Amino acid sequence: MTPWRSVSLRLTLAVAGGIMALSLSALGLQYHALARALEARQSAVLAADVAAFSALYDQRRIVALREAIEFRADVTPPGTAVFLLQGKAGETLAGNIDAWPDGLPALASGVTMDGAQHFDLAGVPYVGIARVLPGGFPFLAARGRGEVESVLATQRGVMLLTALALAVMAGVAGWVVARLVMGRIDRLNALADRVAAGDLAARLPGARAPDEFGRLEHHVHRMLDRIEALNRATLRLSDNIAHELRTPLSRIMQKLDRSEADDAVRDEMRNAIRIFDSLLDISGAEAAAGQTPGLVPVDLGEVVGEVAELYAPLAEDSGLDWRCDIAPGLWVLGDRNLIAQAVSNLADNAIKFCRPGDAVTLTLAAQAGRHVLEVRDTGPGLPDELGDAAFERFARAERDREVAGHGLGLALVQAIAARHGARLTRPPVATGFAISIAWPPLAQQPPLPAA
Amino acid sequence: MIEMSKTLPAAASSDAPRILIVEDDRETATALARAVTDLGADPVIMRNWDDGVTAAGLADFAVIVMDRMLPGGDGVDAIAKMRAAGSTALILVVSALGRAANRIEGLERGADDYLAKPFDPDELRARLRALLRRDAMTVVDNDMLAFGDLEIRMKARTLHIGQTHVPLSPKEFRLIVYLARNAGEVVTRMQLLEHVWNLHFDPQTNVVDVHVGRLRRKLDAVAGRDVIHTARGAGYVFAPGGSAP
Repeated sequence: MTPWRSVSLRLTLAVAGGIMALSLSALGLQYHALARALEARQSAVLAADVAAFSALYDQRRIVALREAIEFRADVTPPGTAVFLLQGKAGETLAGNIDAWPDGLPALASGVTMDGAQHFDLAGVPYVGIARVLPGGFPFLAARGRGEVESVLATQRGVMLLTALALAVMAGVAGWVVARLVMGRIDRLNALADRVAAGDLAARLPGARAPDEFGRLEHHVHRMLDRIEALNRATLRLSDNIAHELRTPLSRIMQKLDRSEADDAVRDEMRNAIRIFDSLLDISGAEAAAGQTPGLVPVDLGEVVGEVAELYAPLAEDSGLDWRCDIAPGLWVLGDRNLIAQAVSNLADNAIKFCRPGDAVTLTLAAQAGRHVLEVRDTGPGLPDELGDAAFERFARAERDREVAGHGLGLALVQAIAARHGARLTRPPVATGFAISIAWPPLAQQPPLPAA
Repeated sequence: MIEMSKTLPAAASSDAPRILIVEDDRETATALARAVTDLGADPVIMRNWDDGVTAAGLADFAVIVMDRMLPGGDGVDAIAKMRAAGSTALILVVSALGRAANRIEGLERGADDYLAKPFDPDELRARLRALLRRDAMTVVDNDMLAFGDLEIRMKARTLHIGQTHVPLSPKEFRLIVYLARNAGEVVTRMQLLEHVWNLHFDPQTNVVDVHVGRLRRKLDAVAGRDVIHTARGAGYVFAPGGSAP
């Protein structure tokens, strides 16, 4: 599973993202309100200045204004406000700056708050009014915004830190929530995996919590109980069928022995019994798929070697090039007889379908953490129309109608592989047929008994 | 050297070996009894588990043929009970529980042989004969099996015909030893697969034939006569004297 497909991660991100979005919008609103409040206070101070100047100008015009500005310029700390009154020729009459700021237009009007402008002077932002008073006197009164800006900048810094801290906390909170939820789903998934691998008796340990997950676990457990009971019933049924059918078949065999029936009839009977045995073997192996009871440590190489040796003379007599490459010391948890039967079926098929001159290769090697057994031949291969259906019971190609068999060999191989938790694949080959069985290795090789 | 009781094929008499048959199905019991009689032994039939266990303790049987799914219990469970009661009989389980796993379970729990139902009467006779023979066989010398000029040395793992050493592969050696231990009797392919290859299933092709064929060619070429004979349909007979029974 790629991390992006993980519900756990997405849930973590969603929870964290939600917390972040809410918190950041709250901070944003607060910042906006603060900015507006500061702005309003600044405007109020400027308006008070302007109102004072306006009153003086109304009473005594330029003279009074000049005195007031001189006084104000003396007591104003630099950077907090600028005042300037110029004469008709542009000479400074009063003020705390020497020259009119560049590019600042002045309105021809009285001293009022209309048309307040923003401008920068020596890197400090100001807001204020610029006028040309009647008679041609340029007049400027502005308040520095430095204080407001620095308060807002501090506020932004605080917000950034808060956002970072929130991101971390939201991430942690999201992760914890996702863990709590996903941990319980993962438990169920692990259970389902064990069941799918064949362990029908697998259950979650401990008591069920009285919540939705507890109920889900309870439902899954009840389903598994039911499946297990059905499985047991099927097994009992097949044993009963075995018993009930074997007895009459047995009687037929006895009667045949006493009568003068020809060998062909007996051979047909033996063949029928063989099909019947194969079917029981397949269902037996399938029913026990993935269950470890009954399996013991088996030296895979030894079993494969023995079966290969059993078939070697037959292959030689059929004119086949019979090759074996078996790595030693590969152990699996298995049923020796079933493994031998699977290898025997594969060897049998290879010999049955190949023509003189073809090669049959048995390879056993450790590959990517598994013990891989491959049987490969250069024979006619599987007909295309058969494909993976070759592993189904009674699957036979139209082409092979004349070849002896009943189409159960590969089905049994597959059932035996499943019994051992082994993966069965058909590696691509240019010509012929290849089958690969990847067995789960036995972690620890059992100590060899003293000879 | 091995000496065999020559009374074995004699007509049923007081010294004929007795074979206990524990089988609830009348038809099968009759068939088993017939096979026992064919071999010159006396059959005693019991129809349920308890009677079978009791009977096993009352008389000295050479072989006990047990069914598994009996009224009263599983025949395999009876083995330990019979052994505890002092029976030394060899036990052949004949059961419809015929899968390899059932068979291996039976052998592990003390059965000397295991035959699946429905059985081939030839197969049954061959197995009963092998068990009777094992019962009658007295081993004098563990190391050598001799049949006229054919000598098998177990420790050295060699086979000589006259003065000629016949080289054999380890499997061929096991094969000839198993055949020789059952000399004069029919040995089936299934018996060979079980005892020589330790495989409890029926391969689709008669792979055993090829192995026996090779061994036979080696031996016949040196001996100048047939040492291993084919019993039609059933299996093989090791008869180094040259004549099939």
